[in-house]
Amino acid sequence: MSANQKESNHLRIPTPEPKGAQTPPQAGSPSSSHILTAFLKPIRKLSPVLMPPGSPGIFRRKSSSEITPLIANNNNNDKFSDVPSSKMATASANLPFVGWPNSKDDYELKEVIGVGATAVVHAALCRPRQEKCAIKRINLEKWNTSMDELLKEIQAMSSCHHENVVTYHTSFVVREELWLVLGLLGGGSLLDIIKHKMRTSDCRNGVFDESTIATVLREVLKGLEYFHSNGQIHRDIKAGNILLGDDGIVQIADFGVSAWLATGRDLSRQKVRHTFVGTPCWMAPEVMEQDHGYDFKADIWSLGITAIEMATGTAPYHKYPPMKVLMLTLQNDPPTLDTGADDKDQYKAYGKTFRKMIVDCLQKDPSKRPSANELLKHPFFKKAKDRKYLQQTLVAMGPSLETRVQKAAKRQPGTSGRLHRTVTGEWVWSSEEEGDMSSDDESRVKPINNIQHSDSSGSETDLAIGDHGSDDPINLVLRMRNSKKELNDIKFEFAIGKDHSEGIASELFGAGLVDGKDVSVIATNLQTLIENHRSIKTVVFPLNSGSETERDEKTLVGFAQISITD
Amino acid sequence: MPLFGKSQKSPAEVVKALKEAVNALEKGDKKAEKAQEDVSKNLVLIKNMLYGTADSEPQTDIIVAQLAQEMYNTHLLLLLITNLNRIDFEGKKDVAQVFNNIVRRQIGTRSPTVEYICTKPEILFTLMSGYQHQEIALNCGTMLRECARYEALAKIMLQSEDFFNFFRYVEVSTFDIASDAFSTFKELLTRHKILCAEFLEHNYDKVFSHYQRLLNSENYVTRRQSLKLLGELLLDRHNFTVMTKYISNPDNLKLMMNMLKEKSRNIQFEAFHVFKVFVANPNKPKAILDILLRNQEKLIDFLTKFHTDRSEDEQFIEEKAYLIKQIKELNKNATEH
Repeated sequence: MSANQKESNHLRIPTPEPKGAQTPPQAGSPSSSHILTAFLKPIRKLSPVLMPPGSPGIFRRKSSSEITPLIANNNNNDKFSDVPSSKMATASANLPFVGWPNSKDDYELKEVIGVGATAVVHAALCRPRQEKCAIKRINLEKWNTSMDELLKEIQAMSSCHHENVVTYHTSFVVREELWLVLGLLGGGSLLDIIKHKMRTSDCRNGVFDESTIATVLREVLKGLEYFHSNGQIHRDIKAGNILLGDDGIVQIADFGVSAWLATGRDLSRQKVRHTFVGTPCWMAPEVMEQDHGYDFKADIWSLGITAIEMATGTAPYHKYPPMKVLMLTLQNDPPTLDTGADDKDQYKAYGKTFRKMIVDCLQKDPSKRPSANELLKHPFFKKAKDRKYLQQTLVAMGPSLETRVQKAAKRQPGTSGRLHRTVTGEWVWSSEEEGDMSSDDESRVKPINNIQHSDSSGSETDLAIGDHGSDDPINLVLRMRNSKKELNDIKFEFAIGKDHSEGIASELFGAGLVDGKDVSVIATNLQTLIENHRSIKTVVFPLNSGSETERDEKTLVGFAQISITD
Repeated sequence: MPLFGKSQKSPAEVVKALKEAVNALEKGDKKAEKAQEDVSKNLVLIKNMLYGTADSEPQTDIIVAQLAQEMYNTHLLLLLITNLNRIDFEGKKDVAQVFNNIVRRQIGTRSPTVEYICTKPEILFTLMSGYQHQEIALNCGTMLRECARYEALAKIMLQSEDFFNFFRYVEVSTFDIASDAFSTFKELLTRHKILCAEFLEHNYDKVFSHYQRLLNSENYVTRRQSLKLLGELLLDRHNFTVMTKYISNPDNLKLMMNMLKEKSRNIQFEAFHVFKVFVANPNKPKAILDILLRNQEKLIDFLTKFHTDRSEDEQFIEEKAYLIKQIKELNKNATEH
């Protein structure tokens, strides 16, 4: 928020407007107020462990108002989204069926199928219609972004009627919650299925065959084509936002309303890390650059990344912290199937046509990328099969709903907590309320800002510690598994000039939070992070205490991660 | 895909064809299905003339001018809007898209469609009543907000009795419709500063008695949104007169003090931003001063503990400190008088 905005809303009794003074109408932007500013300001605290994988929105949501004129200024013709669910039959009573009711008593809430930052998703039964649905309950008290933003996303949803786009039925307010009634898809998200497959079979040479990939992506493209013809950009196409029905139907979900239906289901560690690393992995270079805004071609880039994700199991730069991803995306040649490979023949089973399709999508110049419509004509999609095929290759193979439910439910109460030092220097552990994680938003928003820093300073190894402002401690979180192998977040501050890495590491040990064998490695890595805090936001490193046989960097088994959270 | 075919229909022909199709749809006889198809087809034709397609540019200014003129002459816009509920899902969106494009049309500094709508205000009233119908509410909402950008049209809406229906629309049970109505409502009340200030001044009692109901709504979102808008209205210096009036009424102060204590932190916070204006007023009427004095200690205590975790919001901290100081000094002021 700019300084003058603050100024203009400052606490002062306004003076009367001089008569005759004209204020030019401000195009499109209602005068924003400090109140809005306040809404955008996150409350602190962080518990990313509870963040559903791929709960995407905030990173994108916040930046959207700044960098996507097409969506943000929807006063103009580019966006066209305001259509209600025509399935409601209140006014035109000539429709034979019962509309979707707006009363909570008409719905029977069943099992929780997803848990998000500000929302819980239930399977539900709509009693008057005797029809299953999903109900996403968004806690509006915890919704710190503006309500307009929420409305925009819901309108975007309700203006879509397409078999490849999640169905929106209705929405209503229940006390402090917003209930969104949506179509229920039983198969979970594509990401759930990828992760499940990677856990249960050897995916070293690829997760899915080309036919499966072509079939899914063709459906996604059909949804995107519709989206784009509506003047909408999805802005967050990725496996976590692609849902599957039991019948093999593919739908695009998550219009940015925090976490979507299936994205919250499988809260495996790896995905948590994914989330933490954030959505930039799928983000098109022009979106990162922010100077020109972007158009629907940004979705085509994301689709290309999703294609890689379906083949390799992860987005190409998933290992890196958000800012590094931004730099790699902007500076390097576009990623390919082999970008994240351990050896160069790993994915040789994938053919030329597929690779060519990815290259087409991942062109840095958006105007060179094909439109959704053009891409559908790409030879690769000749390999696409029908829903039945997906039913066999994906739905039947995927994790059962029960598994997902268990996972979602198990993790609800925080294994995350906050370790903070009291004035007397003691470490106190307090567990956090589920969902109070607004500053996680911030942590994922920040890298965008930081890229500008690194651009302007021109150096990645900028060690200007003093710049941080010596009074401002850096907020950090150490993520690692405890003795019960549960993932924990330990938060602490580091005051430059006052704290020492060794000191902090010893205190963590003293508080019984880390193994003695890990003190020095934590200290070293903490030091690295602090020294490079302008350019690095996250370090992941092996622990000495970990067992030699069971180690996985992605899931933080035998590894730990320290991240800067502010 | 391409619905537009070989023959390039003239604007007059398309408008005529669309008009006939809508009329047939309105009659609702057996041919309704065919009519529906024709409506969609011709809407797409018009839309493509205005916006172009992936393969074709929008039509030339001359063609668009002819098209617009033809629409004014045949009153096609009104016909489309009155029959909007009969048009299919995608067609409804096309109507709004065509409408908004035509409204935005300019010849030099003139906006011919705006001038046309001024002579045909039923268009606006029909659109406003669209909020009563679930299946067209949001389409009407986009069109209304397009109209509200023009002062002449906003004025017609504000000054009509129908405007007060918004106080109902913003509270309907379907969230997206209520919120959409709220955006339009807010646009009308804030967009054209001088017009809005005049409207609020002239209709102060009526507006604020209605507004009171929103603030006391059972619906959390209505309460939170209307409270926020109230803060914005009062802090806009164009509305100085209205603000002075509002903050002189002790009932309003009581309401805000109660809202400060609401369970919802967001509502508390919004209430703070209205409450602060009462306190910061250098010329507090006696009734206001009395309430503040009576609650002086409680208020100081309350504010001191109020949202102490907002440690990053400097403006808030500053304002809160200012309020506490003001309230502490109240006695002094009072005795001085």
